[in-house]
Amino acid sequence: MANILEVKDLCKTYVVNKRQNNVLRNVNFHINEGEMVAVMGPSGSGKSTLLYAVSGMDGITAGEVDFCGRNIAKMNQKELARLRLDEMGFIFQQMYMLKNLSVLDNIILPACQSNKIKESRRETVERGHALMRKLGIIEVADNDINEVSGGQLQRACICRSMINRPKMIFADEPTGALNRTSSDEVMEELAKLNSEGTTVMLVTHDVKVAAKCTRILYIVDGNIKGEYYLDKYDKSKLRDRERALNGWLMEMGW
Amino acid sequence: MYFTILKKDLKRKKTMNVILLIFVILAATFIASSANNLITVSGAVDSFSDKADVPDYWFASTNAPDIERFEEFAGENGYDYYISRLIQIEPSNILVEGKKFAYSSTTALSILGGIKIFDKNNEELTHINDGEIYIPYFISQSTENDFHEGGKILINQGGVEKEFTIKGYTKDALFGSAMVGMTRFLISDNDAELFDGESANICSAVEVHTKDADYRDKFNGLGINTVMSVDRSMFKMLYILDILIAAVLLVVSVCLILISMVILRFIIHFTITEEFREIGVMKAIGIKNGAIRGLYIAKYFAIAVVGTAVGLGLSFPFSRAMIDGVSKKIIISGEDHFLINIAAAILAGAVVVWFSYLCTRKIHRFSPIDAIRSGETGERFQKKGILHLGNSYMPTVAFMAVNDILSGMKSYVSMIIIFIIGTLLVIIPVNTINTLCSDDLITTFNMAKSDHIISQELLFDPNEDNKAKVERQFDEVREMFAENGIDASVFQEIMFRTNLSKGDKRTNSLSFQGRGGVTTDMYTYLEGTPPQNVHEVALTYLTAGQIGAKIGDDVEIKVGEDTRTYIVTAINQSMNNMGEGVRFHQNAELDYNYAAGSFGIQVNYKDNPDKAELAKRKAQLEKLYPDAKVYTPGEYIGYMIGDVAAQLDSVKTLILSIVLGINILVAVLMVKSFITREKSAIALLKALGFQNNSLTLWQTLRIGIVLMVSVLTGSFLSTPLSSLIITPLFRMMGAYSIEYEIRAVEVYVMYPLIVLAATALAAFISAQGLRKISSSEISNNE
Repeated sequence: MANILEVKDLCKTYVVNKRQNNVLRNVNFHINEGEMVAVMGPSGSGKSTLLYAVSGMDGITAGEVDFCGRNIAKMNQKELARLRLDEMGFIFQQMYMLKNLSVLDNIILPACQSNKIKESRRETVERGHALMRKLGIIEVADNDINEVSGGQLQRACICRSMINRPKMIFADEPTGALNRTSSDEVMEELAKLNSEGTTVMLVTHDVKVAAKCTRILYIVDGNIKGEYYLDKYDKSKLRDRERALNGWLMEMGW
Repeated sequence: MYFTILKKDLKRKKTMNVILLIFVILAATFIASSANNLITVSGAVDSFSDKADVPDYWFASTNAPDIERFEEFAGENGYDYYISRLIQIEPSNILVEGKKFAYSSTTALSILGGIKIFDKNNEELTHINDGEIYIPYFISQSTENDFHEGGKILINQGGVEKEFTIKGYTKDALFGSAMVGMTRFLISDNDAELFDGESANICSAVEVHTKDADYRDKFNGLGINTVMSVDRSMFKMLYILDILIAAVLLVVSVCLILISMVILRFIIHFTITEEFREIGVMKAIGIKNGAIRGLYIAKYFAIAVVGTAVGLGLSFPFSRAMIDGVSKKIIISGEDHFLINIAAAILAGAVVVWFSYLCTRKIHRFSPIDAIRSGETGERFQKKGILHLGNSYMPTVAFMAVNDILSGMKSYVSMIIIFIIGTLLVIIPVNTINTLCSDDLITTFNMAKSDHIISQELLFDPNEDNKAKVERQFDEVREMFAENGIDASVFQEIMFRTNLSKGDKRTNSLSFQGRGGVTTDMYTYLEGTPPQNVHEVALTYLTAGQIGAKIGDDVEIKVGEDTRTYIVTAINQSMNNMGEGVRFHQNAELDYNYAAGSFGIQVNYKDNPDKAELAKRKAQLEKLYPDAKVYTPGEYIGYMIGDVAAQLDSVKTLILSIVLGINILVAVLMVKSFITREKSAIALLKALGFQNNSLTLWQTLRIGIVLMVSVLTGSFLSTPLSSLIITPLFRMMGAYSIEYEIRAVEVYVMYPLIVLAATALAAFISAQGLRKISSSEISNNE
C-alpha cells in the first residue's frame, strides 16, 4: 500500500522563557493508506505535539512531513487550511463545537465552507443526516450542543471529521473524556470508518482503544522508541490484542 | 493579594482597560469643558450686558419729528435716555481694501456715546483718533471682506470721501451680532461731522433706561415709526447661537458619558463572565461577595480616578479653546470657572464608579459550582442557535456572523446603542445645517422663492422719492436683462417699520411689501389665504399674538403718518427680527418715505433652468454686476444672518471626528474581546480548515452587520429626532413650521458610508489579531 503520510527527521522545539524545549527529536515514521495507527507514550512525551505537527495544525522546526506526496512543511497557511478542510478530518479529546450552531450545523459546517464536493446545501444536509444516522445520533440533529451527551457529541465530531470525505483522520485522545460505554461506541465507529478505507492516526493512553488499531507507535521524550503491529491478530479477538499490546508496552517501559 | 490580582488584570486586559480609560478621559474632558463653556457663555451674556450698560429699551428711527416727540414723552415720564446719531452708509459706498463691502444689512457710522463699547482687550473705548475706525468682531470674520487690523476702509458718501485705518475690533453689545440686521463702525467725532451733513441719512438710536413696567405700552401708544425696537431681554437672544453651540457640546458630552457607561457594562460583563473560574474558586474558599466585588470596583475606581484626573487636566485648555471664539465678541469675565470643571469631572468619574458598582451585582449570582462547570450551572437550557445553516443560502461565514448576532443579542446591544447614538450625533447636525442652508428656507424670511438674488439692497432717504428709486432700479435691471437675453421676472422686498394695533393692544413690527414681478400668492402662509386686496395683510404668529389678532380681524397699521385699517387674511412666519412681520399686498399704497430698507433683487427665470444652467446664469449675473454679489437663496440666508452654518459646520466636523473615534475604539474593543472569548472557537475553525481571511471576514462581518443595522436605525430615527431637536431652535428664531431639508444621499448614504467604512476598517484591522491564534491552541483552551 502507498504511504499517505511520511515523516522524516521531524523536530519541534518550543522556546519558553528563552529556554529551548525540544519536544520532538528527529522523528521518522510513515503511515500507509488504510492503516489505523495509535500513538502512545507517557505524559509529556510529545504525542499530541506529533499529531498536530504532522497534520499541519502546528508548524515544525525541522524535517519533512509528506502528506499524499506533498511536503506540508513548505505549505503556507492558506494551503494548509485547504488541506485540513478537504483532505483531513480531526477529532479532539474535548468535543469542541460552535455553541451557536445545532449539532447538524456543526457537522456540515466544513462541507459548507469547502468547494471540494460540488453539491447543493440540501445535499450537504442529506449527507450530514446520513452520517448521523450511520453513527446513531440522527435524533439529536437539531439539538443544541448542550442538549446532548458527551458520547453523542463525540460521535457528532466524528461525523464532522468525515463530512468532507477526508483521506485521513487525526484523533487526539478521542475517548479521553468519555465513559467506557461511550468510548467503546466511538472506537467502534472509528474502526468501522477505517475498515471502509479511511486512514486514522490517533493519540491515546487507553490500551483498549489502541488495541483496535493496526499499528502502535510508542513515543518517549520526543522520539519513536518502537512500533508494534497488531494486524497479525484477529480483529474480533480484542482480548488477545490487548494482552499482546500490554506485553509490548511493558517492554517499552509503559 | 488584591494588588497582585489587580495588576495582573490590568496587564491581561490591556486593550480593554486602555479603551475604557480613553472613554472616561473623553467623557470627563468634554463634560467638564462643555459645562464650563455653557455656564461661562450664558453667564457672560448677562454680565456683558451689565458691563456695557445695555439699555432696558432701545429703538431706532429715521423720523426726526418722532424723535422730538419721544424726547417730550421721556421728559414727561422722567425716563433716562440717550440718543446717538447713526449715519447710514450704502454698502456700495464703502470699499474695504479697494473692494466693495459685502454686507446685506444697514451699515452706519457712529461716534462713542451711550452704551459702553470695548476693544479686544476688554478695555472700554473712550477715544478714537481721526482717521481711525473700529468695526464689530463678527464683521471682521466675514470671508467675503478682507478686514484686518491696519487695513484700509474708504467711505464715500454725500460728496465726502475719507480713508480710514482699521484700528481694531469692537465688543459692541448692541451691534455685535449678525442677528441684529444692522451694524455700526465707530469713528472719531471730527470724522463723523464730515459725513453728518445736510444730505446725510440719519437714523437716531435711542437708549432708554427705566424700570417702568408700563413703558412698552406707553411707547407703543406714541406711534413712533421705528426701524428697530427691542428690549434688554432680546439682546441676549443675539447670542443664542453661541449658547446653542455650547449646549450641543454638552449634549455630546452626555452622550459620551452614556457611551462610557455602556462600554463599562460590556467590559464588566465580559470580565466577570470570563473569570467565572476565579470567582467560583474565591467563593469556594470562603471569600465574601462584597470582597470579590470590591476587587472589581477597585479596578474601575482606579480607572475612573486616573481618567477623571487626566480629563480634568485636559478640560482646562479645552474650555479656553471653546470660549475663545465667543470671547472675541463679548467680554468673558476673567475668572476661570475651575470649580465647574472640577465638579463636572468628578461627577463623570462618580457616575463611572457608581455604574461599575451596579454592574458588578452579577458576582452575587455566581456559585462555586461555576468554577467546575465552565460558568454554566447547567440550569439553563434555552436554545442558542436561531438559524440553521442547512436551511440557509448564505455563505458559511456570513451565516455564522448573522447567527452569532441573533443567538447572542445581549453581547451586541451595547454596540448597537453606541452606534445608534453615534449615527444620530452625526446626522442631526447635518440635517440642521442643511435646513439652515436650504434654498426653501428663504420663504421663512418673508421672501418669495427665487432662483438668484443680486445684493443690490436699497438704502432709503426720507428726502428722496423712494418709490421712484425702487422702480428705477427695476428698470435698470430689466434693461440689462433684455440686453443680455435673460428672460426673468425681478422683484424685491421693501421693508417698513410699522405700528400695529387691535383695540388697545399695540405693537410695532417690521413689515414687507414685494415690488416688481411678485404677488402675495407667491409667499408661504401657514393659515388662511394670501392678501388679495390692498386692504388685506398677513401677520406672523408673533405679531398677530402680540395684538391678539386672528384671521378675519381688522387691525390698524400705521406707516409713517398714515394709519389704515386692514383685514388679516393669513398667518405666516418669519425669521426676521425673531419672528415679527407683516405682509402687505403688492399694490397697497404705502408711504415710501418711511421705507426702512430692502432685500436684494430676486431673479426668477421663466424657463425653469436646471442646476447646471443655474450655475452658468449665476456666473453671467456676476459678470453683469461686478460690484454686487449674486447669491442662491440658501447663500443669501447665510449672508443675512451671518455664517451660522459655518459655525455649526465646525461643530459638525468636531462631532464627526468624535463619533468616528468612538466607533473605531468600540469596534477595536469589541473585536479584541470577541477574539479573546472565542479563542477556542477560532482555533477549532482553523483546525477544521477555515482560512484566516474567512475568519477575519467573520469577525468583521459581525461588527459590520451590527453597524449597518445601527446606522440604518439611527438614520431612520434621525428624521423625527431632527424635527424634535431643530424645531425649538427655529421656533426661537420665529419659524413655527419648517420643511426640513433631508438630503437623502448625504444623510442616508454618504455619512453612513463614512461611519461604516471607518468602523469596518477598524474592525478588520483588529480582527487581524486572530492570525496569531494557532489551530493547535484548541487543546489549551476551555
